[in-house]
Amino acid sequence: MKITDACVYPYPLGDSSVRRMALEAKELGFDSIVAADTPSSEFSGIDVFSGIIIQQTAARDIASRIKRERNHRAVVSVQAGNIGFNRAVIGLKGVHIIRGIQSADKTAFDHVTAKMAADNQVAIDLDMSPLISGRGITRQRAIQRYRDILVLERRFEFPLTISSHAHSILEMRAVRDIVGICSSIDMEITDIKMAFSGVDTVTSPPANAVKVI
Amino acid sequence: MSIRPPTLREKRRYILIRIEPAGAPVDQKDLYYVISDAITSLWGDLMAAVIMAAVVASQDEYVVVRCRRGTERELLTALSTITSCRDTRIALRIVAASGTIETLRDRIRRVKAPDPEYPPYPECSFDKKPYLIYQCNGQKIDVIEKGFKNTNRLFLTREDLEEL
Repeated sequence: MKITDACVYPYPLGDSSVRRMALEAKELGFDSIVAADTPSSEFSGIDVFSGIIIQQTAARDIASRIKRERNHRAVVSVQAGNIGFNRAVIGLKGVHIIRGIQSADKTAFDHVTAKMAADNQVAIDLDMSPLISGRGITRQRAIQRYRDILVLERRFEFPLTISSHAHSILEMRAVRDIVGICSSIDMEITDIKMAFSGVDTVTSPPANAVKVI
Repeated sequence: MSIRPPTLREKRRYILIRIEPAGAPVDQKDLYYVISDAITSLWGDLMAAVIMAAVVASQDEYVVVRCRRGTERELLTALSTITSCRDTRIALRIVAASGTIETLRDRIRRVKAPDPEYPPYPECSFDKKPYLIYQCNGQKIDVIEKGFKNTNRLFLTREDLEEL
């Protein structure tokens, strides 16, 4: 099981180079990171996956963007929108992660979307940044939303990912810290482990439904 | 209150923390207030009173935080939510936990000294801009853009500089 931070923003989006982030991730207990707008590579024994984050785009444009990026073996994430948009995006082949559910509309993720995410193996990202740097109502809303997602996750078993959304090494947190934060929102340790390996789950090719002997 | 005999005292735990980035100007008292705020914000006044956190020692970039035994997990979770201290961006990295401060002081003494190969403030270039090397520790190199306007720190590695 690989422990992956599902989204970091290295230089020039952030203030730390991808090598430094990989080095820091290693010290913090991660095996791999998904770095936005960075080619895939390996630094200091840490796998760096290329991450493509698509936001504020219509669903049909996303399909063409995914087609263009298909050969790059990148982890494709889409910023969550309203419920119709989310359902459309989850149905698209090549989308790995839906991000920003905590800042989307209250009704953006329901039981039908959860079932679709489970069927299509699309992960829902739990962004740790509002829990770490947020205070007051921002943090409370994120906790409420994540607890709601966890209820659906236990029922439908769609994949989850955990990301720090760090723009700097100062915003990255140790695996132990993230486990502590997730435990405080009533996330089971097995769910946390599954969420850490969520990127592996959604990027690995699906197993054959029928085994041919 | 008078000092109780050892058997009646409450057990404490001491947490050794490293402040990142190295050289960040952090006052012990300011850090205490930041930690206190973080605990109260995350766990509320009730739990803050149970944790009884206090900054008991600091040495260079290391700080020792005290808490009541059994509340380490809550304290560590709260510490991970600290992002700044008096407008200085910081991150607190947990190094060790112990029942005595002395053990943690030994641990600080054992930590490797900074790399003398790069003295502070030699020039370098990164992304076609001149930078001053501010801090160097092993592979890690922190640089600041040359000039007086932009003093934001960039976090790089030796390989990033050698590549150019």
